Amino acid sequence: MRDVKKIAIPEYDAIEKARRHVIALMTGAREAVTPLTFTIHYPKERKHMPDCFRGYILFTPENCINCWQCAFICPANAIRMKKASDNRYYPTIDYAKCIFCHFCVDSCSRGALRATKIHDVAYRDMDEMLADTEELVENPDVHREDERYVDYVLNEDDAVIKREKGEDRFFVEIPPPPDVRFVARCADPESCLGCRICEHVCESGAISSVVVNGVREMRIDEKKCSGCGLCVKECAMQILILVRVR
Amino acid sequence: MWRSRHAANVLSEWRVKLPEKPLDVKYFGNLKSRVIDTGICSRCLTCAAVCPAPEGITAIDGVVFENWEEKCLDCGACVRVCPRFEYVPKSGVGDYIDIIAARSKRFKGQDGAMVTEIIASAIEMDIIDRAIFVGRDEEWRTTNFHLRDTEQLSLKTLSGTKYCYSNALSELRDAVLMSEKGVGVVGTPCMVSGVRNLREQYPVFRKVKLSIGLFCTENFHWHELHEFLSKKGVSFEKLIKTDITKGQFIATMTDGEVSFPVKDLEEIIPSGCHVCTDFTAVDADASVGSVGSAPGFSTVIVRSAIVKDIIRYIKQNNYAEFGDVMLKVVQKMVKLKKKREAHLKK
Repeated sequence: MRDVKKIAIPEYDAIEKARRHVIALMTGAREAVTPLTFTIHYPKERKHMPDCFRGYILFTPENCINCWQCAFICPANAIRMKKASDNRYYPTIDYAKCIFCHFCVDSCSRGALRATKIHDVAYRDMDEMLADTEELVENPDVHREDERYVDYVLNEDDAVIKREKGEDRFFVEIPPPPDVRFVARCADPESCLGCRICEHVCESGAISSVVVNGVREMRIDEKKCSGCGLCVKECAMQILILVRVR
Repeated sequence: MWRSRHAANVLSEWRVKLPEKPLDVKYFGNLKSRVIDTGICSRCLTCAAVCPAPEGITAIDGVVFENWEEKCLDCGACVRVCPRFEYVPKSGVGDYIDIIAARSKRFKGQDGAMVTEIIASAIEMDIIDRAIFVGRDEEWRTTNFHLRDTEQLSLKTLSGTKYCYSNALSELRDAVLMSEKGVGVVGTPCMVSGVRNLREQYPVFRKVKLSIGLFCTENFHWHELHEFLSKKGVSFEKLIKTDITKGQFIATMTDGEVSFPVKDLEEIIPSGCHVCTDFTAVDADASVGSVGSAPGFSTVIVRSAIVKDIIRYIKQNNYAEFGDVMLKVVQKMVKLKKKREAHLKK
């Protein structure tokens, strides 16, 4: 029973009692004139979101290495890869399906997908919810009416609402990911069928094969390999692996 | 994909040897002209086990690769593993460690249910974590069943001879890639020879730790056997089991039996079986069949150390009772099948 603490009613003298009554009356008077509510007056006010907030997703095609990791990892199957005019595949996000888990953002090894703090997006119909690659590239038009942003501050006794003038930033500057480079290599050359599916799927043209004297020589050019892992996924015998290079 | 492996043995340049091409077409064309079109194809589907092409080799009434001129990736894997491409007929009882006759106490099957017993014991011993069984549907068409738990063995459609081709090997690669410990596979001698080739040619397939061969005289194409048996008055809805004993084909149904001499079936023996002389599945890790032991027992030819361990485990746990083997009867069947060499010379 060590953890149980007995609490007695505090005993105050006459002056202390009077002081506390005055404070109580003043608080009552203040709340009557300017009530302090916890309700955020949206859209005039917005909650100040932390920088790691998982909201609407933006895309930078220049950083994309076409690895499809975002589409593979998406648990809601919201991401489809769409062929662009440069023959590469870029993600499209169906916000009707997206559960905002941001697995795609986390899985993107080059930081091509970025998170924003936008969470209040409205659509007229389901078709509109499918965001094409082009829509993901540009910052969305947000009609903003907010003049203040609101923070909940926990101090010693109580939670207090803190209102500040100005707009909350929607777009967070995230430092680029550390340059961790992966390249594909073959872990079991004897089991290679020589089917060259890897060569067909390779986006960066790093895999090549030549036939010399009845032997097929397979080669992965590590300078060209972007480490996207498409060949690793498509290999029929699953003998290719991604190796980290420093 | 991201699992870490030792980076020491990984290469960015490697070589794949290509088999010789008798004809100047893609490799499947070579396989087709030498094996499939000449009628020696046994439909073991070892080629389908390796074929990497999307919509590649399948088995719909024979080995099929639609539009192979375009879709074949010309890798030569099918030619490398096909047991009949450079066909050296195998015969005899083969190399063995031990021959035993046994009957499982835990399972009921066609004879001694030793195939089921060996697979179940191997799963219990953690040698394999999955096995491909050949089951059947209501019309006795063969279907593949991936066994992952010994409790699934209570399914009645798994045990018993179907006398029909199965396409179990076409799912072998998926099973091997999904398995962590090892894979078990059950098949006819031609399938087992294919598995042996796969293991020799591609180390990935060494995960097939257990290949069990069945004693086999011949096998039938489902639709031909189905038609033949229907004419003889067999109703497949009532059929319980099919068996060949003492030269008689016996189909047991819920309301009686239909039996006729096996020789009647000769007209529908597939051409691929005519050239096969392997009765005991000499390339298997263990060969199992009813020939050579008392009724209700199975003869088991133990050919690998793994199977020897499994048999020891079965003995220790008293999962089976053991009987006498009549090796002479097996040898007689081996001789009988060896006579088919004559067909090959034609």
